[in-house]
Amino acid sequence: MSQLFTVLAISALLSPAPDREIPRHPKELVFPEIVFSPPERAQYRHVLPCGVVVYIVEDHDLPLVDVVMTVRTGSYLEPEGKAGVASLTGSQMRSGGTLKQTPEEVDEELAFLATNMSSGIGDTEGSASFNCLSKDLPRALEIFFDMIRTPRFEPNRFELERSQILQSLQRRNDQTASIESREWERLLRGPGFFSTDRRTKASIEGITRADLVAFHNRSYHPKHFLLAVAGDVRTEDVLVRLEALLKGWAKDPCPLDPVPPIPKPTNEPGPAAYLVDKPSVNQGRVTIGHLAPTRDHPDYHALGIMNQILGGGGFTSRITSRVRSDEGLAYTAASRLDLGTYYDGVFRAFFQSKSESVGKATKIVLEEIDRIRREKVTKEELDTAVNYAVGLFPRAFSTALSTATTLASEEFTGRSPHFWRSYREKIKAVTQEDVLRVAQTHLRPEKLLILVVGNAEEILKGGLSAGKVERIPLPDPQTLEYAGK
Amino acid sequence: MTLAFTTNSRAALALTLAVAVLTPAAVQAQNVAVEEYVLENGMRFLMRPKKGDPNIAVGWIARVGSVNERPGITGLAHLFEHMMFKGTQVIGTRDIEKNLKILTDLDRVKNDIAREEAALAVKQRLGEIPTPARPEDRSRGHNELLRELDKLTTAERGVIVKDEFDKVYTSAGASGMNAGTTNDFTIYFINVPANKLELWFWMESDRLLNPVFREFYSERDVVREERRLRIDSTPIGRFEEEFDALFWSSSPYAWPVIGWPCDIEAITRDEAMDFFGVYYAPNNLTACLVGDFDPAAAKELARRYFGRLKRGPREPPGLRTREVPQLAERRMIAVAETKPRVRVRWHTVPDGHVDEPALTLLASVLSGKTGRLYKALVLDHKVANDVDADQDSLKHEGYFEVDGTAKPGKTPEDVEKALYAEIERLTKEPVSARELEKVKNQEAAADYRRLRVNFSLLMQLLIRDAHRGWHTINTDPPRVAAVTAADIQRVASTYLSSANRTVAIYYTKESPVAEGRAKKTEGAQR
Repeated sequence: MSQLFTVLAISALLSPAPDREIPRHPKELVFPEIVFSPPERAQYRHVLPCGVVVYIVEDHDLPLVDVVMTVRTGSYLEPEGKAGVASLTGSQMRSGGTLKQTPEEVDEELAFLATNMSSGIGDTEGSASFNCLSKDLPRALEIFFDMIRTPRFEPNRFELERSQILQSLQRRNDQTASIESREWERLLRGPGFFSTDRRTKASIEGITRADLVAFHNRSYHPKHFLLAVAGDVRTEDVLVRLEALLKGWAKDPCPLDPVPPIPKPTNEPGPAAYLVDKPSVNQGRVTIGHLAPTRDHPDYHALGIMNQILGGGGFTSRITSRVRSDEGLAYTAASRLDLGTYYDGVFRAFFQSKSESVGKATKIVLEEIDRIRREKVTKEELDTAVNYAVGLFPRAFSTALSTATTLASEEFTGRSPHFWRSYREKIKAVTQEDVLRVAQTHLRPEKLLILVVGNAEEILKGGLSAGKVERIPLPDPQTLEYAGK
Repeated sequence: MTLAFTTNSRAALALTLAVAVLTPAAVQAQNVAVEEYVLENGMRFLMRPKKGDPNIAVGWIARVGSVNERPGITGLAHLFEHMMFKGTQVIGTRDIEKNLKILTDLDRVKNDIAREEAALAVKQRLGEIPTPARPEDRSRGHNELLRELDKLTTAERGVIVKDEFDKVYTSAGASGMNAGTTNDFTIYFINVPANKLELWFWMESDRLLNPVFREFYSERDVVREERRLRIDSTPIGRFEEEFDALFWSSSPYAWPVIGWPCDIEAITRDEAMDFFGVYYAPNNLTACLVGDFDPAAAKELARRYFGRLKRGPREPPGLRTREVPQLAERRMIAVAETKPRVRVRWHTVPDGHVDEPALTLLASVLSGKTGRLYKALVLDHKVANDVDADQDSLKHEGYFEVDGTAKPGKTPEDVEKALYAEIERLTKEPVSARELEKVKNQEAAADYRRLRVNFSLLMQLLIRDAHRGWHTINTDPPRVAAVTAADIQRVASTYLSSANRTVAIYYTKESPVAEGRAKKTEGAQR
């Protein structure tokens, strides 16, 4: 990995003079410069003759190999009424055996080789991966592509997972954390959007093995694959092996070409405040937020710095400092800004506080959202956030695996290949005025959606001044029907 | 081995520890080379230079955890860990003189309030009041003290520089700063850019040399919120705590790392300082560096910065109270908002015991998708939807645990019975050669995987050093490789007996659902 980096003779510069005095304050410490050049895609990117793109990063420290594949599919492609079929297809590819081997045979062989292999399908992509000892790579690759290309979908494994899912659906209202994330997504994106949990007992029971087979057949074709390989391999060897495994299949007609675009949500959330009653807990969970731009927005870097100061920077950020350190009202109090990849992203502040102080902590968070839109942040706050971001970004390339998957994922999601090259300069260019401007433009107090989950009676007693609060009943966990709606 | 890890900041961590590992003939034996350096004051340094990205994972461990507490100060080791982020004589204040004066006044007022609270506790004990926390039961003097406390807390805010400890590191581009407390140890770690190693030496030695426990009382509230978050407001948090308390009779592993609420609320700054004096002396600490650095330069920095710490007046006391042998099975029947399930736990052996490698492999034989429990209970008999097995080796004691979630239509007792049948098989006949080889292969590969990330190696070296010495990362694997099928059969018979076990049965309590919509769910209710 060392060939990746330009590091200026750090060791030599670090050697301290033996009797140098210890400075009184760390500000007086002087550090040597360090220059980090992020890797370029071209260094590791290969295109197989059959057309599949592979990123390969060698690292021979340990006798291990990682292979990670990304696939253009997702739950957004689920047929109407079949919520849950994407995720089931992804996991059953791994659990249900292959045409050549029964599920038991696959499991036994992988376990004996100590190879961890997995497969899954999320909202906007599918993924499959394994980690093996390098001596086992040829066999692991064979099993891997049997799993990808010819999954058996053995009925008894499918029924087992169905039973597990039905059991967990039944328990969907047990934990306030899962109630909070489910309801937040529903309120933000709308009840019908694919990222909202729409699985019901009926939808899961209605899925057949044929649905899994169909879902797999539509999406899994080399045309939709992107691979990342890292570890104890020789690049040439990997390229030859992958081509041999993929070339025949790549000639087959591709059933879904092109893959339909990922739809954008049309829901317009908020402003509103919602309260879900869970009388058995003594702590309320609160999320406050609204939609945010996509990550290709020109304000990307300034927005990141703004959120770092507001609530994304741990103890150096305002929300954490006031809610946690000053007042002792929460263990976690922070904000996140996830700029969207394919559609609008999300800004949200969140915390958990004992029922009676939920109101007080909410008020503080709203004050801080307001304040960062009214006053410029201090120079010190800006410098802290900028220096942190500059110091942190090499971590995306800290191992061969993270280098390969970072580069692969950026190509998959269509990010500019120059993103990292200009990252440091763009972050350093952010000013106090920029932070104020992006806060005023992108934080919208008049649009805030507030969701509280906890003991409603105790929380309201503590004074929740969030305007008119609408109570949401807990839905039936199996039908997701909400009483009175 | 997975430890519940109570952390100071940001995200919760589940920490997976390397226990025992091996190398089968097919794979080269690992040999992790570490340079060891010990200061005159007894503080140990483990150094593992590794070229790569321009970063260094750095941390240190104190051989102290909740086992070193006693009733009355449960949760102190963890609360203390939080206080280590509150600054020093230099970091965290505009005016140290004024700051120290306010802290002394705060302690005085808090002690006076504690006397008032003790009086209320007596009234509660006699049943005169339902709880000691109601404002209307407070005396006038009590209320005056509370007002004074508020004033002092406000005054304190005037002289402190908020979270300066974090700000110094963050603005240097250091990341991932956190700390964790377990039953046995407390660990502090961060990642620093390779050119800023001296900053780490400055900051860490300063907080060990001149700590100032600011905002002590609001931090106690933060820990109470952490308790609510992790335990009180989760469906089974308090039941799990009760299970621990049932399982351990005499051992201090009986109380939770985060502490009992009444203790967290009452611990004083003086008690925290006493704890610091004994357990944070350099002779009770090990530090570790993994990443892009020069060991010679690091040694020199270690000597200059940490050499300033004074060896403790005496070695920290060893743990006197061991668990007494269990004579009869114990059972806990819980009704909670969770899946119907069973957990069975047996007393076994601590980390490093001669029987530990065999118990670790025994757990491997039982767990995973090709393990015996999954095959028998989930795939063949269809009584369970999930199963697991684990040997948990703590520093002073250990236990073996199996658990299972009942399939709808089956009861936790059905699962329990099937679990015992599999255990019994292990005591009656040896595991096959192929099974043994499989689990040994898995241990060997897992061993390599744990070395991949600098941070993970740092954690292993520190924790091993706090237990039995870092070198066990190299000496444990051959011990696992030497385990035979007869060993596994023997430890199964020795430890997994009915009198030695404690059982938790969870029946499902339905979550209240809005009127008219709630349907009775099928499954294994009581």
